[in-house]
Amino acid sequence: MSTLTIALDRPRCEGHGLCEEEAPQLMHLDDEGDLVLDTAEVTDGSPEAAAASAAVRVCPVAALRLA
Amino acid sequence: MSTEAPATSDADLFSDEVLLDPYPTYEALSETAGVVHLPANDVYALTRYDVIRDALADTETFSSSSIGFNPMVNEALQGTSLASDPPVHTQLRATLSANLTPRALRGLKGQIEEKADTLVAELVETGSFEAIDQLGRVFPIQVVADLIGFQDDVRATMLRWGQAAMEVIGPLNQRTVENFPIAGELYGWCSQVTAEDLAPGSVGRGIFDAEARGDIPAGAAGHIIHQYLGAGVDTTVAAIGNIVALFAAHPDQLALVRKDHALVGSAFNEVLRYWAPVHAWGRRVTRDVEVDGTLVPAGSQVAILFGAGNRDPRHYDAADEFLVERNPVDHLSFGYGPHGCAGQGLARLEAHAIITSLAKRVDRLVVGEATRVPSNITRSIDALPVLEVVPA
Repeated sequence: MSTLTIALDRPRCEGHGLCEEEAPQLMHLDDEGDLVLDTAEVTDGSPEAAAASAAVRVCPVAALRLA
Repeated sequence: MSTEAPATSDADLFSDEVLLDPYPTYEALSETAGVVHLPANDVYALTRYDVIRDALADTETFSSSSIGFNPMVNEALQGTSLASDPPVHTQLRATLSANLTPRALRGLKGQIEEKADTLVAELVETGSFEAIDQLGRVFPIQVVADLIGFQDDVRATMLRWGQAAMEVIGPLNQRTVENFPIAGELYGWCSQVTAEDLAPGSVGRGIFDAEARGDIPAGAAGHIIHQYLGAGVDTTVAAIGNIVALFAAHPDQLALVRKDHALVGSAFNEVLRYWAPVHAWGRRVTRDVEVDGTLVPAGSQVAILFGAGNRDPRHYDAADEFLVERNPVDHLSFGYGPHGCAGQGLARLEAHAIITSLAKRVDRLVVGEATRVPSNITRSIDALPVLEVVPA
């Protein structure tokens, strides 16, 4: 099983928070409204990878990547 | 893979008929191909969800320097984040967005909700009202004017300026020509606006502070103010009118939101998906590129049809049905990628506040016939009489 890394383009991130709704177990907005990646690596094919993929997909400014 | 000659259609994206109701044309174009050449407009129309989303993400190939459909507006918009590409775009966008992100707006959430609820309560109490003149046009202007710090003289012209700013993005037709002088007033005002013209402590004043600190290029502050006015008003007016019209037409869907307020966000996403406020944005293709099996030559103008992508049955089941439980967070109405709508956080706050108030206070809305006026870019209702409010 390979590992996938969640990458955040922080300058691009605007804190819309749609990713947190898709993957609350992996990331959250802190009190300042900045995104915190609670988990940066997920196992390919796992439910966490599916959640990470959904979070990447819904970011309106494409600030997240999974690779 | 060999690329096919492009599919062609004689549709005119900017004819009155299409602007009044583009969905039959969108469906026909989308059925034809993901990319359709339109000689009438000299554009390649992108018509399917995946094709559009991929193009929005690829700013190198699909350049925003040609966001408009006539050369004058593209020239006028140079220096703004709307018509620039990374890396210039990145800095301009960061300054524009810094004050429009959900984090920056959190302090305004309570005020916006209170403003919305006060307005909706008054209209419900009245029992009948004009949804566009008394709600759709009033609320976003109040919010944006307070946010930017516009004084009374500018508030009075915001609606006209906002409408004109969108119209002139169209091709060089009569609508565009008639609106250039009005858009020119907006541009002229923004060119000479100073920090002192905006209320102390406002976001607009903050932009000038950023310019003074050297965070943004000299002269950029006026461009950014222009964008708040040009892009922050007309589309939100449209979206609020759409909320009222769609809930009136689909009382069963309003009932679902009344029962479960957690559906407010999903409902707004569905409003945006079902009726896109923006008809088309332009892009310039910077290199020969294969799109969905079709070669689009370098230098071509592309038209991104948000409404077509949002109704693509290849992406959404029952794409032509209005369903508030769908929660299409990936709708295209706010764009996507680096040029995703900078004001979307504010638009969400405003729309969520209105929907929440309606869901709380209204059981059903009885409306008369909606009036539409053809507009090059913004698709909105011009008048919508609410004949009777059945209160909750």
